[in-house]
Amino acid sequence: MSWLQRLFARRRMERDLDKEIQFHVESQVSDKVRSGISEIEARRLTRLEFGGTAQIKEDCRQSRGTMWPESLVQDVRYGLRQLRKSPGFTLIAILSLTLGIGANTAIFTLLNAILLRPLPVQKPSELLLFGDGQAQGSTSSIPDGSTRLFSYPFFHDFRQKDASFSGIAAVDSSQSATKASIGGAAYQTAHVDLVSGSYFSVLGVPAFLGRTIGESDDVSDGAGPVAVASYSWFQRQFNGDPSALGKTIRIQSHDYTLVGVARPGFYGYTVGQSTDLWIPLSMEKAFSRPGWNGLGDKFFQSLYLIGRLKPGVTATQASAETNLLFKQILRSYLGPQPSQRHLDELAHASIQLNPGGRGVSYLRYAFSVPLEILMAIVALVLLIACANIANMLLARGVARTREVAMRMALGASRRRIVLQLLTESLLLALLGAAGGVALAWKASAVLLSMATPGPNPVPLNLTPDMPVLGFTLGAAVITALLFGMLPASRAAELEFTPALKDGRGSSSSTTRGALPRSLIVGQIALSVVLLVVAGLFVRSLINLSDVETGFDKHNVLIFSLDSSTANLPRGTPEEIRSVQLQEQIEDRVQNIPGVKADGFAFFTFNQGGWTDEVLFQGIPRTQSNGGEVFFNIAGKGYFSTMGIQLIAGRLFNAQDTQMSNKVAVINETMARRFFPNGSAIGRRFGIGETPDHPGEKEVIGVVKDAKYSSLTEGTLMAAYFPCTQNPGFYGNFAVRYAPGANWQEIVSRTRHAIAEVNSNILVNSVGSLEEQVDGSIATQSLIARLSSFFGIIAVFLGCIGIYGLLSYSVARRTSEFGVRLALGARSHMLLWMILRECILLLALGLAIGVLVALSSTRILKSQLYELSPLDPTAISIAIVAVSVMTIVAAWLPARRATKIDPMQALRAE
Amino acid sequence: MKTEDRFDLPQGTLDLLIMRVVALGPIHGYAIAQRIQQMSREALQVQQGSLYPALHRLEYKKLLASNWELSETGREAKFYELTANGRAHLKTETENWKRLTDVVGLILKGTLEGLS
Repeated sequence: MSWLQRLFARRRMERDLDKEIQFHVESQVSDKVRSGISEIEARRLTRLEFGGTAQIKEDCRQSRGTMWPESLVQDVRYGLRQLRKSPGFTLIAILSLTLGIGANTAIFTLLNAILLRPLPVQKPSELLLFGDGQAQGSTSSIPDGSTRLFSYPFFHDFRQKDASFSGIAAVDSSQSATKASIGGAAYQTAHVDLVSGSYFSVLGVPAFLGRTIGESDDVSDGAGPVAVASYSWFQRQFNGDPSALGKTIRIQSHDYTLVGVARPGFYGYTVGQSTDLWIPLSMEKAFSRPGWNGLGDKFFQSLYLIGRLKPGVTATQASAETNLLFKQILRSYLGPQPSQRHLDELAHASIQLNPGGRGVSYLRYAFSVPLEILMAIVALVLLIACANIANMLLARGVARTREVAMRMALGASRRRIVLQLLTESLLLALLGAAGGVALAWKASAVLLSMATPGPNPVPLNLTPDMPVLGFTLGAAVITALLFGMLPASRAAELEFTPALKDGRGSSSSTTRGALPRSLIVGQIALSVVLLVVAGLFVRSLINLSDVETGFDKHNVLIFSLDSSTANLPRGTPEEIRSVQLQEQIEDRVQNIPGVKADGFAFFTFNQGGWTDEVLFQGIPRTQSNGGEVFFNIAGKGYFSTMGIQLIAGRLFNAQDTQMSNKVAVINETMARRFFPNGSAIGRRFGIGETPDHPGEKEVIGVVKDAKYSSLTEGTLMAAYFPCTQNPGFYGNFAVRYAPGANWQEIVSRTRHAIAEVNSNILVNSVGSLEEQVDGSIATQSLIARLSSFFGIIAVFLGCIGIYGLLSYSVARRTSEFGVRLALGARSHMLLWMILRECILLLALGLAIGVLVALSSTRILKSQLYELSPLDPTAISIAIVAVSVMTIVAAWLPARRATKIDPMQALRAE
Repeated sequence: MKTEDRFDLPQGTLDLLIMRVVALGPIHGYAIAQRIQQMSREALQVQQGSLYPALHRLEYKKLLASNWELSETGREAKFYELTANGRAHLKTETENWKRLTDVVGLILKGTLEGLS
């Protein structure tokens, strides 16, 4: 019989074994009877000779080789019974484990989804990304460092020359959230990616239906008006109907034919974005973008490049060849007589090849450090929970001494006992883990939405998958070993007779001693560390919230508009119509009661930026004025809407039209850097290091500085251009209303006004400026809240541990206290005697905790805003909080000791 | 039973003896114990506590196969017999044992001669 068969035929085997032994017994008895002994005597003699049949059967079972699964099942059932017997302990243990393991799993789920999980492409380990993927948008400067964005001509030329890659894919780094209409139906928002013809084949994503984009679609400008849909978009729009293929989709005034659907589960190359439609790069002209000059523009760099290594080629070899080709190709782009400056920049230009199998992600950039910090925090909380459970188990171990002694007397080996106790711990851990997984599933989704506020939820798949479940299982096993090993081995080292007689275990000071107390000290130290960390994050957040933004964030609504479906002219003299529409909107909304000011803008706050260098006529470039300037395009009313003060000169007005002088308003810093000793008004500048149109813009006004893209940015130079002279930017429409006005009504009236002016200009979303500012520090806010939450939980857990330990200790020493009281000790001396020990532990824990905190918070420096990692306020608050809570937790049971009635105590012994 | 003649079996030899006995034909546990006692001229009495675990171990290692048959007393008993594997194992082990005892005997004889 095979091993497996043996396992299942257990009952039959038991019966057989019984029968076999019985047969032997009977044969022996009959033999004796035959030789003349009476039956009764024969049976007695046989029984003596045989010894214990139970032992024989046990030995036979062992030699069957199926012991350990059988004993496991036995242990599990026994363990469950034991746990049911003490519901209080079991409940607390499982709850702490659910919280601890659940928190760890939640953070790991996010970590896995954002940092670790590979894309659903073929052999992700072979893919290499050019650059680190940490930029998005486009740039026109000559590469002079590690480059992340590339131009279409470069992609084309590189492919022809390289030998290390079996294929290279290109995808535009900005995904457009634009409007699409299927077969003439109403426009809906769709997320569109521009990709090369090689994209799907290099990544290895097959089509689910029809075909994917191929090389022929990308061969020349406008060659491929086709689109491939993502599976989920296809399901949403067409309900899986295959006749969708061949339908016409109108995107931004151009028609595309739907030729295929990508394999389910593929959402594009950017993690955290979900692509609905893929379109060939050859159709880029149809997507209006500032600064775009055609596919042949060698320095319009906006693409991510991903290469698949040829088999046998290493990453190092590929990197060397790539950098060589990079410099070669760029050199050829600079023309026959490049400037020395350009050559210098080129000398520093490089491409760093990074693993490309996990895609690019803004989320990764923003969240990798916070996630790691959170992971450390929840791991520490779990440790504290383990220490608590270990202490509880140690106490229970003492109470179960008699049970263990009995089992050992019946023949259980020490190893068996330890294994059984560990099985109980594993049961607890697994039950906690099961709850933890469910908790983590919900919690991770909540955490993600709290960290990324805004109208559109981030499409990230957070359902528990294999790595997450594996992590949870691993966490459960490690946790069980951590809190179970020590109590289990403790329980099994006993001396028989005293244990059997006494039943409660010796109350000698050795068993009481070092272990539970060191666990308490450890818990206190960890709680201090966690509270210090929480305090640092909270203070940093407070600093951030107090930052001067330079504008008034209250009472301003931001409308996100989309004019792509309105078919507005651009690049032609009729552009003026676009401007007129903007002005009409501005005027109409101005007339709504409650509205104080309104204005269009390209950017408001924390929306990215458009930067470039600037050269003033007659002013030499220096270190201080040679940096990037933040540009913005604003309507007349923008400055008063945002509350940005004018310092000198004037703001945009009706004089500044398409025909008139090109004007600009600059900020204080820019004025100061270029004109430290005079006025900037009237001076002229051009855009770029060597402007194509020098002296094109005239400064007409200077405004106060503001924060443009993040609260933590330093002082930046900024220049604003009027909407009338840069038409077509409908992205943001800001409306300031009087405090106390009914903003919902203003929202609906504004929508109405916009629709009246042109019904094809759509409102994507409405938010407030305050939300945008607060949203820019959503991550820091979340970390501050979470670390405080976990810090407080840590202290609570520690206090529960102290309370439990001390209660137990007091209960056990009842008789001792009874004697002391009877002998004349005063109750407050008793109180002090008990507390004294606790205070010692507290002091030790505080000392260790503060030391650890001081030496390790340095690593948080990058996450703290204008705060030293050794901030004394945070440390003091942590010390005070932990001390107070610990003393309260100790005082409650200690007080009970003083209420002991000596006579009762002595009798109860 | 002469108690003076009883001695402890070296480890592993019980298995060898059992297989030797079973090689003579299908036999149940009680009979194996009797047979060993007989064949050793009463010098060896196998304890049930060692016999049955050994039988089960040999069966687990697939050196013995078992079957429930009617015994001579009319009751059902578990009869063991050697498998082909078991037969081969018995042959090798017997040879090893012979070689071992020859060598040990040689050394002991030599020592004794030397001593005397």
